[in-house]
Amino acid sequence: MVSYIVFLLVVAGIYALLAQSLCLAWGVTGLVNLGLAGFFAIGAYASATLTKWGGAPVPVGLLAAMLAGAVAGFVVCVSTLRLRDDYLAIVTLGFAEAVRVVASNEIWLTGGTDGISGIPAGLPRDWGQGFHLAALGIVTAILGLVWLALRRLVASPWGRALRAVREDQIVAAVAGKRVTRLKAEAFAIAAAIAALAGALYGHYTSYIAPEIFQPLITIYVFLAVTAGGNGRPTGAAIGAYLLIAFLEATRFAAEVLPGVSAVQAAALREASVGVALILLLRLRPRGLFPELSQKAPA
Amino acid sequence: MIITTRRTALFAGASLLAAPGLVRAQGAPIRLGTLTPLTGAGGPYGPVMANCVKSVVSDVNAAGGVLGRQVAVVSEDDQTNPEAGVRAARKLIDVDRVAAIMGTWASAVTTAVAPLCWESKTFLATVSGADSITALPHSGWLIRTQPNTTLQGRKFGEYAVELGAKKVFFMAPQTPFTQSQLANMKPPIDRAGGSIELLIYDATKPSLRTEVDQVLRARPDLIVLGGYTPDTTVLLRDIFRAGFRGKLLAYAYSVNQQMLSSLPNDVTEGIYTLAPSPAEGSGGFDRVKRIVGNDNPDPYTCQIYDQINLILMAMAVGNDATGQGIRDNIRKVSQGGGDRVDNAVDGLRAIAAGKKVDYDGASGPCDFTDAGDITDCKFRYEQVRAGRQTLIRIA
Amino acid sequence: MIEALLQALINGVIAGTILAVPALGFTAIFAVLNYPNFAIGALATVGAYAGWVGNTALGLPMVAALALAFAATAVAGLVVQWAAVKPLESAGALMMAIASLAAGLVLENALRFGFGNDLRGYDLPLLRDWRFGEFRVGPQQVQNFALALAAMGLLWAFLRYSRTGRAMRAVADNRDLALLRGVDPARVAAVTVAVGAGLAGMGGMLVGLDTSVDPLVGTRLVLSIFAAAVLGGLGSIPGAVAGAIAIGVAEEVAVLAFNPAYRLVVGFVVILAVLTLRPAGLFGARAS
Repeated sequence: MVSYIVFLLVVAGIYALLAQSLCLAWGVTGLVNLGLAGFFAIGAYASATLTKWGGAPVPVGLLAAMLAGAVAGFVVCVSTLRLRDDYLAIVTLGFAEAVRVVASNEIWLTGGTDGISGIPAGLPRDWGQGFHLAALGIVTAILGLVWLALRRLVASPWGRALRAVREDQIVAAVAGKRVTRLKAEAFAIAAAIAALAGALYGHYTSYIAPEIFQPLITIYVFLAVTAGGNGRPTGAAIGAYLLIAFLEATRFAAEVLPGVSAVQAAALREASVGVALILLLRLRPRGLFPELSQKAPA
Repeated sequence: MIITTRRTALFAGASLLAAPGLVRAQGAPIRLGTLTPLTGAGGPYGPVMANCVKSVVSDVNAAGGVLGRQVAVVSEDDQTNPEAGVRAARKLIDVDRVAAIMGTWASAVTTAVAPLCWESKTFLATVSGADSITALPHSGWLIRTQPNTTLQGRKFGEYAVELGAKKVFFMAPQTPFTQSQLANMKPPIDRAGGSIELLIYDATKPSLRTEVDQVLRARPDLIVLGGYTPDTTVLLRDIFRAGFRGKLLAYAYSVNQQMLSSLPNDVTEGIYTLAPSPAEGSGGFDRVKRIVGNDNPDPYTCQIYDQINLILMAMAVGNDATGQGIRDNIRKVSQGGGDRVDNAVDGLRAIAAGKKVDYDGASGPCDFTDAGDITDCKFRYEQVRAGRQTLIRIA
Repeated sequence: MIEALLQALINGVIAGTILAVPALGFTAIFAVLNYPNFAIGALATVGAYAGWVGNTALGLPMVAALALAFAATAVAGLVVQWAAVKPLESAGALMMAIASLAAGLVLENALRFGFGNDLRGYDLPLLRDWRFGEFRVGPQQVQNFALALAAMGLLWAFLRYSRTGRAMRAVADNRDLALLRGVDPARVAAVTVAVGAGLAGMGGMLVGLDTSVDPLVGTRLVLSIFAAAVLGGLGSIPGAVAGAIAIGVAEEVAVLAFNPAYRLVVGFVVILAVLTLRPAGLFGARAS
């Protein structure tokens, strides 16, 4: 039971990093990233290939993953920044699918659908529970750093400018904000955070494959961020822990449902994610930890 | 925890009610897990696999359980996704404390889950086909009932030659075994002076006309279909419409009962299929037919039937209901001679009587190498005739 | 080689015409209600199942089954709209889009709950293609093509001649002006959602006729639908048709030109290229 909880806390920490990414892009800047799974994948592959096949140490892999994520984020968002924000949503959705197809078919680069197993963790795996506890410490510490950095960024003049862009691009532009540049910066940084999460996932579990990076992961993170409060890094992080608790709780709930077949229980579990998201958007759209009401300067 | 206990109590209670007068099993139930895809791309296969395990276990429980204990099955969904699969496996291992996990289907899920299993001394039985799986450093904690592609590919190649094919085309989506399947089909075809080419298609595409045109332009006399049921359905329609008159050869898990009942008969007429099989006359296959209620049980269902039976008997013969017990004893019931049995109820009775058993299942003789691969198996050569699989031979 | 290209063109035009039906539904909802409805894939799946039930359980002929698919999906679309999307109208297009994404997940799993994951096939004989020299066309394809054209024709007539249809176009063109002229926005929104979702359902059934029906049948189309709508200019009705045909052709020709496994990437690259070079799409989006 303890090892189950430790494992879930590591996974939730990784989801919390994804939630930090979405918080910056969507909550603060108003850019919907439906391709979160794609950036997650890019980070995972960048770090896994460098450390496993390139022999690089894990920290170098993590930095490379963030760089790769930022570059990909920039390329993906740059064509849509002058358009309405829904275009970005469509582009990013397509991006995540494209990443998965490339990862499946470019076997020389990614190992194809076999995936990459035996990714080094930078820690000895034969520590047993100690390995998981150490991983928990590292992931939580990295999450803490990202969270602190994001909080400072959000409170900085740059963060205020991002919120101004979110509230009204035209007003922000009139007020002298470089809207396109601000959006590109925020999106690229957010993509880098998602990529970092992917790299950590690969190192922790030792295995990545294209099938991990499915659109459902993105929906999960939207649920997490909506639950916690999309404009506040603290809320987004707590939302991710709540998400994992919720996903796992539905497992136990499904077991006690009478007269439901296994596939029906599985369908109910997936549907409950959608229902929870709809209800939260409707009943508590600002989340459990709403954005502190800072007046965005116009 | 409380929830799980109550559920198993209910389970045990129900089976006692169902079989009044039988020896009441003592002690806490033995827990086993299934981890099959119930949603996602593997969704067509996983549900019936989970049901098959439950059915075998309820028979065993009705006959008194294993080692005097009832058996409880916990079914989780891997969502055909390694991330979800790992979370589900952790729950099975750490919370339910299952002795074994059965039925992982997607190779990526199996590869992701396997380290968890060997680290926690949980036995893993899989149906995944990628060759890399049994090469993992699992030290005996893993067996696979699916023939690896070295064996399967060779059989496909040899059968293509036997069917008189000179120009073979292999159409498949990108899977972990596509490349090695091709590599193993090639030598027998080359030796017979034929040739084989590969086209990898996108399994989510609603029409594969242009792909089929592309293949037919090479004028193949036999096409090997390497996909799963949903995409093979699309492919078969387009092959039919293109007026292809050559032969078709497919995995029995893709041209299965579901597909045969969703396509008109003239589309599937004449398709040859191969599936791993026990020797002729083994009763396991017929038992799975009865469990699933149709004449063409899926090869994956046959395999998970074998996995659960072997695991139950391994626990009994080693007098040890843990993962370690299964790992150390499974080969004592799967191979090495003794009374031939095809189900755990008979096997457990024989073991209780002090006899050595050698299981012959629904998917094959189930003899395993040290790496966890099956040593050999027969194949069911079947052909679809009027919407039904018709057995040509078992060899 | 030239024959191969022409054949791929024929295949692409036909595939694109079928794709145009759900793409029209997606773009119509975008035009009038101003948000991208990400439930469009799941709605297509609803239509595929509704048509299948009509065809196999109720024994309906194809056109009646198609009407049933339209009606059932229209209802599903309205439920999604009222239960999930409408309460977020004031929160903006993005929130509505996310709510629709969540609603799509619920719909997909509701179908899985009811029908399981098993493949379902329509009760329909499959015919061999007609051959014209080097080329071939399937009777089923032609029928689907005709049905898709008929659906588009009906939509066009509805938008052109009916009061409600004209009101829809008025709202799409200029919401404020339309309101001033006394158009009832709630009614127009409801009709648009019903028609848009209904078209998605018809599209799903047309694809289901050609493939088979399972809980993911519509989801597999989503990216192509988006690519078609963006290429034609989000919110442009003729654009969606042209975009869908272009995407259909691009996906088929790509089979000859590159690795066929890269179909999904084709859609993505088209979206990216269009938005970079000509963001308003072929026909000019109204909302940029």
